Amino acid sequence: MRRRTLLSTLALSPVVVAGCTTGEGVDTGDGTGAEAGAGGGFVAAISAQPDQLDPHKTTAYASFQILENVYDTLVVPAEDLSMQPSLATSWTTSPDGLSWTFTLAEGVTFHDGSPFTADSVVFSFKRIIDQQLANASRFATVADVVAQDPTHVVLTLTSPTPNLLSRIGGFKGMAILPAGVDEATLATKAVGTGPFVLDSVSAGEVELTRFDQHWGERATLPGLSFQFITEPAAALTALQSDQVQWTDNVPPQQVEQLAGDDSVELGQVASVDYWYLAMNCAKAPFSDRDVRRAIATALDRQAITEAARFATARPNQTAIPEDSAWYYDYAPFTTDPDAAKALLEGAGVAGPLTMGLMVTSEYPETVTAAQVIASQLEPLGITVQIQTEDFATWLDRQSRGDFDAFLLGWLGNIDPADFYEDQHRTGGANNYQKYSSPVTDDLLDRAAVEPVEAARKALYDQAAKQIVDDVSYVYLYNPDAVQAWAPGLRGYTIRPDKAIDFDEVTLPA
Amino acid sequence: MSAPARPAAPPVRVRPERGRWRATLRLLLSSPPSLFAVLVLLAVVVVALFDEQIAPTGFNEVDVSDRLQPPGAGHWFGTDDLGRDVLSRVVLGAKVSLQVGTVAVGFSLVVGVLAGLLAGFYGRWIDAVLMRLMDVLFAFPAILLAIAVIAVLGPGTTNAMIAIGITYTPVFARVTRAAVLGVREQVFVRASRSVGASDARLLLRHVLPNALPPIIVQTSVSLAFAVLAEAALSFVGLGTQPPAPSWGRMLSEGRGYIDLAWWIAVFPGLAIVVLVLAFNLLGDGLRDVLDPQQRSALEAARHRPGRRRRAEVRR
Repeated sequence: MRRRTLLSTLALSPVVVAGCTTGEGVDTGDGTGAEAGAGGGFVAAISAQPDQLDPHKTTAYASFQILENVYDTLVVPAEDLSMQPSLATSWTTSPDGLSWTFTLAEGVTFHDGSPFTADSVVFSFKRIIDQQLANASRFATVADVVAQDPTHVVLTLTSPTPNLLSRIGGFKGMAILPAGVDEATLATKAVGTGPFVLDSVSAGEVELTRFDQHWGERATLPGLSFQFITEPAAALTALQSDQVQWTDNVPPQQVEQLAGDDSVELGQVASVDYWYLAMNCAKAPFSDRDVRRAIATALDRQAITEAARFATARPNQTAIPEDSAWYYDYAPFTTDPDAAKALLEGAGVAGPLTMGLMVTSEYPETVTAAQVIASQLEPLGITVQIQTEDFATWLDRQSRGDFDAFLLGWLGNIDPADFYEDQHRTGGANNYQKYSSPVTDDLLDRAAVEPVEAARKALYDQAAKQIVDDVSYVYLYNPDAVQAWAPGLRGYTIRPDKAIDFDEVTLPA
Repeated sequence: MSAPARPAAPPVRVRPERGRWRATLRLLLSSPPSLFAVLVLLAVVVVALFDEQIAPTGFNEVDVSDRLQPPGAGHWFGTDDLGRDVLSRVVLGAKVSLQVGTVAVGFSLVVGVLAGLLAGFYGRWIDAVLMRLMDVLFAFPAILLAIAVIAVLGPGTTNAMIAIGITYTPVFARVTRAAVLGVREQVFVRASRSVGASDARLLLRHVLPNALPPIIVQTSVSLAFAVLAEAALSFVGLGTQPPAPSWGRMLSEGRGYIDLAWWIAVFPGLAIVVLVLAFNLLGDGLRDVLDPQQRSALEAARHRPGRRRRAEVRR
């Protein structure tokens, strides 16, 4: 999943503007705010304002936190992240694996009253593919999307794609829209099939009301609203004083203390995110594998993890967290400054070395981790120059390759391809560090089309080993998802992929 | 206020100003707040000069296992979220604050005073062009202008100095120009001009020295603002970059820990308060002793104990 975390707001604002230039209307607020507020009584505090609400265009986590409750996908990840039926009730695969037929649910209507049919699926997927929207690469192997009849859709593929379900249903970025929807208004309005209708969008909050014609179980809450509270301490205070009933903006240093606190209920579960350090493989001296290995050897991941996340993360030397079925236990590096020095000398790096390390204060943990890394690399004679950029500049410099090294994380990964393919394949869409290895490429290509799961895992294990050995990324840690809600709130489950479903929530009496 | 020639002046060339400045200093130090300010500033300068000898540890000696220790024998000011010694970082941060303050204000002083002198002395289009330019800069709120400059130059300590320097230039230009306007029509200036003194001599020998008092006061006050501005910029991540110590950045980092570890934010906060207070008190004191009217009142008050000096001055 290529959700570039939380606040890509700034980076994507040009997209928002472009999407709004035609037919952008004033927010008329179809339902009155008072109605939703009075009927709902449930407020969720999220840390950032969504950049826009077009599910096919946004990459911001904040947007998906809201859209999760508004849109549906053909298939949906269950709590254990296995793919389950949603708008598609069943599917069959041709023997050669090149044609998938999905049977669609009947009697489903969109929020605007139009019926959900095969045309909706064709329209939605073709919109992503033809306009090369944010998730187009998830359809890389899809040759065509055809409506066989109103309840059957056929996806024809150019090569077998065992992970097709997670590609087309891993998150709401592949949401199904009604055919012919007014695309210009999608940034601020939503027409989905989900349990809640997007009611009003304002600078401070977004309000949803229940969709009574929802095809599944009707939501228990009559409505809910999302508020944006950037400061973790403020979000926590709002929760404790019952101004909000749920938040995921919990300061990690207070988690331990909150666990014994009756005024909130704390949810903590291992997530599928990972945070890493990437060095520019196209820039000397970081183009030398031994220099990268020296840095990977000098780092003390335990200290970095503790500093950045307190007790809410576990160090890892690969990307996939321990709880996943795809986990590969491989940790070749032990912290050893002497060995690191020897590696540096062997690489012919004489004298002091300066490494610019790009971080962003929009993810404060990168700034914290960078300072620990700076202190750990100092004995090696490496001066780490921490460059704090705003996220827009950060992303820009990343895509231009204008960096020595940077710190960031990837969120919401489900399939091993999400973890490794775009980041490490030569020329991959997210291979900003310009890593290139024919061995890795070959392993990733073979793994992508391997239908047998055990064989597929073996291939990804080998690819991970190669990536870690070559230090394409220095993997640092897997954080927990940490969320807090009002005591007595029922029907909410914290999930590893941090998808937030509020449709079964009941408020404490 | 030109020094009148004394009746029985010795034949040696003496600069009468020298004695006057000494008297001014004595008068300044006789006021307790000013004395306090001078002592504090001296202390901060000493700390900044010998920071590496004074600080118990380096500025980025991370020890995660020793984090969030409360103030005690091992760490007088406690440790921060990365286990760094807060005392060391406060001490090392003094240099950053003073450096940014002095360099930035030095820049504003040179550029602003020069602009003010030229504008005030020559008037006409030079005045119009220079002062309108300063008005444009003045129209922006100080921090906003500094942030805009940093947005162009990129974050960092050096760029913060430039940004703050640019921000406070117009104040100096205005103060200088106002003083120059008053001085240039004085009899002694016109007399000097009438005997053929060059513009440069007029400006440097007569106009500038006599326009100096308000500029000196403004310098002290601007230093206070510059220290605050550096702290504010670092607070929002645009000034000093981590891991280098800066009081503003330490405040911002300690903010999230305020109920867990108050000492991370409180000590650098106190340091900012004390330094800014000292600069402001010094500015106040300087204004009192450099303004001729207030000065004579002050001097009179010294010989009349029992009367409330302040009340006398205000009248």
